[in-house]
Amino acid sequence: MTKNSQNTLEFKFERTIPAPPVEVFDAWLNPQIPGTPWHEAGKLILNPKVDGFFYWTFKPTGTPHYGRFTEVERPVRIQHTWVSPNTLGEESTVTVTFRKQGENTLMTLVHSDLPDDDKARSHERGWNYFLDKLVDNLGSGSHRQAPLAITK
Amino acid sequence: MDRLSDVLTAISHPTRRAIIAQLSNGPARFLDVAKPFDTALNSVTKHLKLLERAGLIERQKQGREVLISFRGEPLRDVAGWVHHYERFWNERLDQFAQYFKDKKKKEKR
Repeated sequence: MTKNSQNTLEFKFERTIPAPPVEVFDAWLNPQIPGTPWHEAGKLILNPKVDGFFYWTFKPTGTPHYGRFTEVERPVRIQHTWVSPNTLGEESTVTVTFRKQGENTLMTLVHSDLPDDDKARSHERGWNYFLDKLVDNLGSGSHRQAPLAITK
Repeated sequence: MDRLSDVLTAISHPTRRAIIAQLSNGPARFLDVAKPFDTALNSVTKHLKLLERAGLIERQKQGREVLISFRGEPLRDVAGWVHHYERFWNERLDQFAQYFKDKKKKEKR
């Protein structure tokens, strides 16, 4: 995780995929392939060209996701915006690059411009779980339970 | 160790969590921090060192006294560790990579 001066978060992920970049690139835009963002969507509209839009809902919860493709350069780079309740309705950016690495492809996904906000964090089941546990533990024993202050 | 490990180590002990709870009410002097514990001052010093290494406390000199205060920022590293999109993309990319691995295995047969 990287936090930049605009108080937004950025996450970077890398995977080595055992296939050439063109195959991996095409697969990433194919909703039939497991693991793509558009796979198993409740509702899906996908138009992967520059200024094309996507809309998909996360099947289990119906959570909507919207975005606009800003770069589609086969087979090296895809960039699109990404808006969902988990971005607090703010426009974040997803950039995926595909680099040939011998017979494989080094795939890098960067999700940037994510708002770093306590409200955004309250969506985090893991974070809430962690905080609940921490506060529970803080309250155990003979010590007085105190609210957990997070300084900014 | 990386920062996240330092933070997780720091909050893994009940005494250190109790120290955080105490300091979240406001800065305190060393002896005030140590007072509630039936433990040697030396032991409290060790706990404070681990909290300091994780960046969860800082010491500030005020005149003759040294005040210890709580800093919550490193807990955000833990938040980031379980951030929605960190989980989301890791799960998706693992599935995507697995699809290609399975495909390659089938092709070899």
